[in-house]
Amino acid sequence: MKRHWRIFCEFFRTCLVEELEYRSEFLGNFLSSLFGIGMAILTIQVFFYQTDNLGGWKYADVLLLLGIFNTLQGLIDFALRPNMSRLLQHIRMGTFDYVLTKPVDSMFYVSFRHLVFWRLIDVLLGIGLIIYALIQKHYMPTIMDAVMFFISIGSSLVLIYALWMMLMTTSFWVIRIDDLSFVFNSFFETTRFPIGMYRGWLRIVLTYILPAAFITSTPALSLLGKWNGMTTILSVVLAGLFLWISRRFWRYALRSYTSASS
Amino acid sequence: MFRKYSVLLRMKYVEMFAYRLATIVWMTGAMVQPLITMMVWMNIDPDQENAFIFYFAALIFVERMTSAWDVWELEREIREGTFSYQIVRPFHPIHWAIAENIVYKALFLVILIPAWGLLAVFIPALRLDQIGAAQWLLFFCALLLAAVIRFLFSYTFGLLGFWVTKVTALYGMFEAVSLFLSGRIAPMSLLPPFLKTISFYLPFRYMVGFPIEILTGSVQGMDIVYGFGLAAVWCMFFMLAVLLLWKAGLRKNQAVGG
Repeated sequence: MKRHWRIFCEFFRTCLVEELEYRSEFLGNFLSSLFGIGMAILTIQVFFYQTDNLGGWKYADVLLLLGIFNTLQGLIDFALRPNMSRLLQHIRMGTFDYVLTKPVDSMFYVSFRHLVFWRLIDVLLGIGLIIYALIQKHYMPTIMDAVMFFISIGSSLVLIYALWMMLMTTSFWVIRIDDLSFVFNSFFETTRFPIGMYRGWLRIVLTYILPAAFITSTPALSLLGKWNGMTTILSVVLAGLFLWISRRFWRYALRSYTSASS
Repeated sequence: MFRKYSVLLRMKYVEMFAYRLATIVWMTGAMVQPLITMMVWMNIDPDQENAFIFYFAALIFVERMTSAWDVWELEREIREGTFSYQIVRPFHPIHWAIAENIVYKALFLVILIPAWGLLAVFIPALRLDQIGAAQWLLFFCALLLAAVIRFLFSYTFGLLGFWVTKVTALYGMFEAVSLFLSGRIAPMSLLPPFLKTISFYLPFRYMVGFPIEILTGSVQGMDIVYGFGLAAVWCMFFMLAVLLLWKAGLRKNQAVGG
């Protein structure tokens, strides 16, 4: 664990150095992030122009949810997304062999080697929106709310990582598609709105099979003081389970991997 | 001209098959956002459920038939310098793009129409029996016009790539704004009045929303005439823009890689 942390810091440092060469792009990137979140808020306003609640959530609650969504999306774009196309390229060109021969865990290496720092702007904007929504609601989370929030956001990060890795692992078989992350985006979009909005079987699927509910709704509810111990425990269990499955899947894929060149 | 096109179409057809899996994945993925938006609206107003199902199903169909990806292609080609090969050919590169659009949209049509028919068996909201012949005709005209405008809009931005390096980012911003103004976030009738008014004059409504409104019958009488009038104006505007930018761009173009 400690060793992996040290390696991660090293990735962090090299990517930062790389990124600092493109400082002039910072303003443009900042503006486009600001624009993105502005549009997302406007979308919610269009919905709330016609109603005062969405699946039982008030305007400020949905804003808080959007803040969490934006934060998580920023983290995905920061650490996970830049690596997806690179793995595909490695597999296609046969350079994946070099990754395998490095004395680092291959799954760890392919998922965190490349980082895009300016995406952290989205994280900051998301956190800003969360705080704004709490102020709007005049709600000060208690210590227990915060603890529950951090546990559930921790499991949602693990869940995201596991689901992302499972998708990324399929690239061993479908190397024709340039960017599988598109598939993940489609799924991740469902977490933009409260889970209470979905009905019937779709809600069951989005809770247990593709656990979208635990990714944004559970942390948002925790922060609003509406947590429930069982749900939080369930989110931790599900996160562990999904991580284990993705790990097994990665191992399985490695076993069936035959290099490209020979 | 006809022979050239038949060759181009065949070429693009073969090319498409090489990427069929990617195309299908892309197509299904693009349906997710309208479906989520549909669910939001169904939550807001459960009484109108069937109207929303019909609207958003039509939206998915129209979206696919009008979608334009040319700006990404052009940006890449201009940046990498491969666009030079296209310039020296005696046939305007826009024809390649048009042929590609025809082939892909024909594929979408072949998939989506049977899918609609199949779904209509189970979902009564999707049945089309009370739509008259005149309405169908107007719908197809508006759809064709929408596809042309959106294609030209995208191509205009692509040509801006001669001057601006990150033209897709700019295009992305317009796309984001157009989500509201084209009827993709909400049917026109549910938009706040301010957005409704400006969307009437801007081109975005005529790229997606207008054909759907004709199909659902929410635009009628003289409003249809005005709609077609504005769509035609925008269509001509972008045609002119492509023409002028193309001429100016050729003078500006400096091939990368020599």
